[in-house]
Amino acid sequence: MSFVHLITRNLWSKKARSIGLIFAVAFAVLTVVTLGVTSSGLEQSAAAIISVGKADFTVVQKGVADTLSSTIDNEQLARLQHTPGVASAIGVLVEIQKINAANPVFIEIGINPSDLEGFGVRVVAGSPYSPTAAHEVMLGWRAAANLGLHVGDRFNANGTFNTVTGIYSTGNAFGDAGAMFPLPAIQGYNRVAGIVTLAFAKVNPGTSVAAVTRRIELAQPELTTIRTAAQFGRADRDLIYLQAAVNGSTVLAILIGAVIVGNTMLLSLFERTHEFGLMRAVGWTRRRMVSLLLGESLLLALIGAALGVALSFAVTAGLSRLPALRGVLHPNYTEDVFWRALYTALGMTLIGALYPTTRAALLSPLKALSYE
Amino acid sequence: MNEAPDGQLAIEVKGLIRVFPGHVTALAGLDLDVHYGEMVAITGPSGCGKSTLLNILAAIDSPTAGSVIVAGQSLAHIRDLSEYRRHEVGLVFQLHNLLPQLSTLANVELPMFGSKFSAHQRRARALELLADVDLKGCEQRLPTELSGGERQRVAIARALANEPKILLADEPTGSLDSASTERFLDLLRHLESDGMTIVMVTHAPDVAAHAHRIIEMRDGVVVNENTS
Repeated sequence: MSFVHLITRNLWSKKARSIGLIFAVAFAVLTVVTLGVTSSGLEQSAAAIISVGKADFTVVQKGVADTLSSTIDNEQLARLQHTPGVASAIGVLVEIQKINAANPVFIEIGINPSDLEGFGVRVVAGSPYSPTAAHEVMLGWRAAANLGLHVGDRFNANGTFNTVTGIYSTGNAFGDAGAMFPLPAIQGYNRVAGIVTLAFAKVNPGTSVAAVTRRIELAQPELTTIRTAAQFGRADRDLIYLQAAVNGSTVLAILIGAVIVGNTMLLSLFERTHEFGLMRAVGWTRRRMVSLLLGESLLLALIGAALGVALSFAVTAGLSRLPALRGVLHPNYTEDVFWRALYTALGMTLIGALYPTTRAALLSPLKALSYE
Repeated sequence: MNEAPDGQLAIEVKGLIRVFPGHVTALAGLDLDVHYGEMVAITGPSGCGKSTLLNILAAIDSPTAGSVIVAGQSLAHIRDLSEYRRHEVGLVFQLHNLLPQLSTLANVELPMFGSKFSAHQRRARALELLADVDLKGCEQRLPTELSGGERQRVAIARALANEPKILLADEPTGSLDSASTERFLDLLRHLESDGMTIVMVTHAPDVAAHAHRIIEMRDGVVVNENTS
C-alpha cells in the first residue's frame, strides 16, 4: 500500500465527513471563482470599448466612477492633439442604450465622419452619415444582422427615428454590435455640446508610446491614459471597487472555509485520537503524522477546488442567462481565476488543518491509546 | 533471529519509578534484567504496575526516575523514540488495536511506513508475515471480518513488521478463548525458538507457565521470580 493509497483509504472510510469537507471547499471556491469570472467578464466588457478604436492608447478623465462618465472638452482634446509625439487624437462620445430585451447593452458612438478611417472603421455597405445630420446612423454589421436592418431602413434610438446610411465593420465584436452617429447629433441628444467621452490617440512612427502617455499625464493631470484592457481599472473606479469586493470576498471565503475545515478536522481528531496513538506507538514519527493529515487535507482541497470550478461554470452560465444580466455578463475564465480557486482551496484547508494537525502530531501515544 | 551481543542484556531496568499525577505510584524502584532470547512473563494483581512497566519499555510512557536500557541503549538518551518504537520493539496489545478502515494486509504494513522498505517490499513482507501467522488468504479482509484470535495474530504480524529484537505483549490473550489462546502461545513459542526476546504481561497463570521466567509484581516492585 502506498502512502497516497493510505490517504485515500482514510478519506473513503469517513465518507460523510470527507464529502462535507469537499463541499465546504467547493462552495468557497464556487464563490471566489464565480465572483472572479463575472467581475473579469464585466471588466472585459467595459474594457472592450477601448479596443474599438485602432489606437495606441486611449485617454480618459481620471478618477471617474464609470469610464462612460468621463468628459473631455474641446480644449483638452486640442491640447492632447498638440502634445509632442501625438500623430492623431480622435474624440468620441460613447453611451450605452437599451434597445430592447434582446439588446440590453447597445453601444452608441458619436464620431465625426472624417475620423472614421482613423478610428479603424470600414464602411461595408451604403455610405457614412453627413457630419451634421440630425437623424442619420451607421450600424455595425453585427447590430444590423441582430436587428434585421439594412441601408435605408429606420432605426429607433434616443427617442427618434434615424435613417441607416451605411453598415460598418471595425473588426471588433463589441464595436460591430453597436451604432455610430454624427458627433454633434449625439452630443445634442445628451446635451453635452463640445464634450467627448474618450480620445483615441496614435503616436508618430518611432515614438515611444510610454513617453507620450507620461507627457500627457504630466501636462494634463486630470486625464489618464490606458494602453491595455488590464489598465482599464485605472480610470474606472467602479471596477476598482468591484475588484476590491472580489478580493474581500475571497479572503472572507477562505476564512469561513478555514473555520469549517478546522472545526470538522478537530472533531475528526477527537474521533481518531486512538488511531493516531496507535500510529505513534508503532513508530510513526510526528512528521509522518503531519504528512498524513496534510495529505488528506490537500486531497480534499484539490477535489473541492475541482468541484467548485465545475459548479461555477454552471452558476455563471445560469447568471448570464438572467434577463437583468443578459448581454452584460460574459463570464471570462482566465488562468488567474483558476489559480485563485486553487489558492482559495489550499489556503482554507491548510489554515483550517493547521491546529488539528499540530495537536495530532503532539499527542502522547499513551494518552491517545487510552482515549475512549 | 536476534544474536546476543557479548554479555549484553536485552533489557536492563534499574530503580524504575513511575508516579502519576495525584501521587499515584505505579512503579516503586523496580529492577529487572531480561536476557536475549528469553521469554519472560510478568504477572501480578491489577494495578501492580505491569502495564506501566511495559509501556515504559515500549517508550510510549516515560519514567519518573530510574534507568531503562534496551538493546544497549538508554531510553533516556534516545533522541528519536519513534525510531526506537519502530525498529527495536514490537508491541502487542490486549485489544489488538487494528485500524478498522484498513485491510489486514494494510494493518501489517502500517509500521513499515517510513522504514527501509519500499511499497513493494512492504507488501511482500506483510504477505510473508501473514502467512507466518497462518492468515494466508485473509489479506484483504477487514479486522471486523476476523475472529478475535485472528485479529491478535494480525497484531503479532504487525509487531514483527520491522524485525524488532524484542516483542512486548500486554495481556495478549486477555480477550481470547482457550483455542485461540493456545494457537497464540504456539506462535510465541515459535518466535522464541527463533531467538526473539519476549516480555509478556499476563494475569493468566497457564499463559505465564509457557515463559522461561515468571516475574511476580506487587505494588510496583518485583516480589518473586520463578525460572522454569
